[in-house]
Amino acid sequence: MGWLSSSPAVDAAPAAPKASADGAFEAPDRNARAHCWEARDAYFHCLDRNAIIDSVKAASLAEERCGKEDVQFKTNCASSWVQYFKKRRVVEYQRDQTLKKLEAEGAQKMDGALPGGAPASPPAAR
Amino acid sequence: MARKRIAETTKGIGRPKVGGQFELIDQNGQRFTDEDMKGKYALVYFGFTHCPDICPEELDKMAGMIDIVQKTNGNVVRPIFIICDPARDTPAVMKTYLKEFHPALIGLTGTWEQVKSVCKAYRVYFSTPPDVQPGQDYLVDHNPDGDFVEAIGRNFTVERAARVINEHIGDWRGKLDKE
Repeated sequence: MGWLSSSPAVDAAPAAPKASADGAFEAPDRNARAHCWEARDAYFHCLDRNAIIDSVKAASLAEERCGKEDVQFKTNCASSWVQYFKKRRVVEYQRDQTLKKLEAEGAQKMDGALPGGAPASPPAAR
Repeated sequence: MARKRIAETTKGIGRPKVGGQFELIDQNGQRFTDEDMKGKYALVYFGFTHCPDICPEELDKMAGMIDIVQKTNGNVVRPIFIICDPARDTPAVMKTYLKEFHPALIGLTGTWEQVKSVCKAYRVYFSTPPDVQPGQDYLVDHNPDGDFVEAIGRNFTVERAARVINEHIGDWRGKLDKE
């Protein structure tokens, strides 16, 4: 009988970064990124279950409720990534709240196409 | 109609000039300049290999777009990844990184000055500290004369972006290198 291992918690931490041919360190590859994102998502699901948006501000509660997941998160991701993802969670939440508020006030959603999709002025003569 | 007007207004007055001269090196250590972009379309993305998720997602989308465009129009678009993290993104690092996305992807890096210069030409935010989030995450599409054509944002799906690119190629009346 075999064990089905699905949680990143049972995987070994990814190997330390290797040096490339010209001496600089390799970036995390597809596999390493996938492990990191899984660990991040597991941590964030725990935060969701505990109604925590800002795990940095609510550090002690986050530690108490999701400490295990946080360890996996930090093991599987570069610390700069951990910080980035935690911050972005807060930013995205605030943005979603703002959007909800605007929609409730009757604002119309715009297609987020960048400029370049439609000219602002008539074409110049050639 | 809107697409035709874009292509024509690119050379008009008041249109912001995006792109221009640059000199960098590719993932094989070979010199690569703006001259090397001529003859085909270029789909340019700015990022860095230590990017947490946006760059890998966009590079996967780019690979998808390139494959669709290739089926319709042949090898007329060069997918180019210009890094904004010269301290960490050396040719060897770029080579390993880009292999996982698409064989046609060209990675470009250089000295701090060279990278700063190309980011300035393309109006891309450039900041030296290694852990700063990428300033930009849009794709810039250039026509074979080297003129800015279209910006393709993150909200574009692969299919929509490929369609936009194919339509520009369809409109192009000049020479196109299909090799």
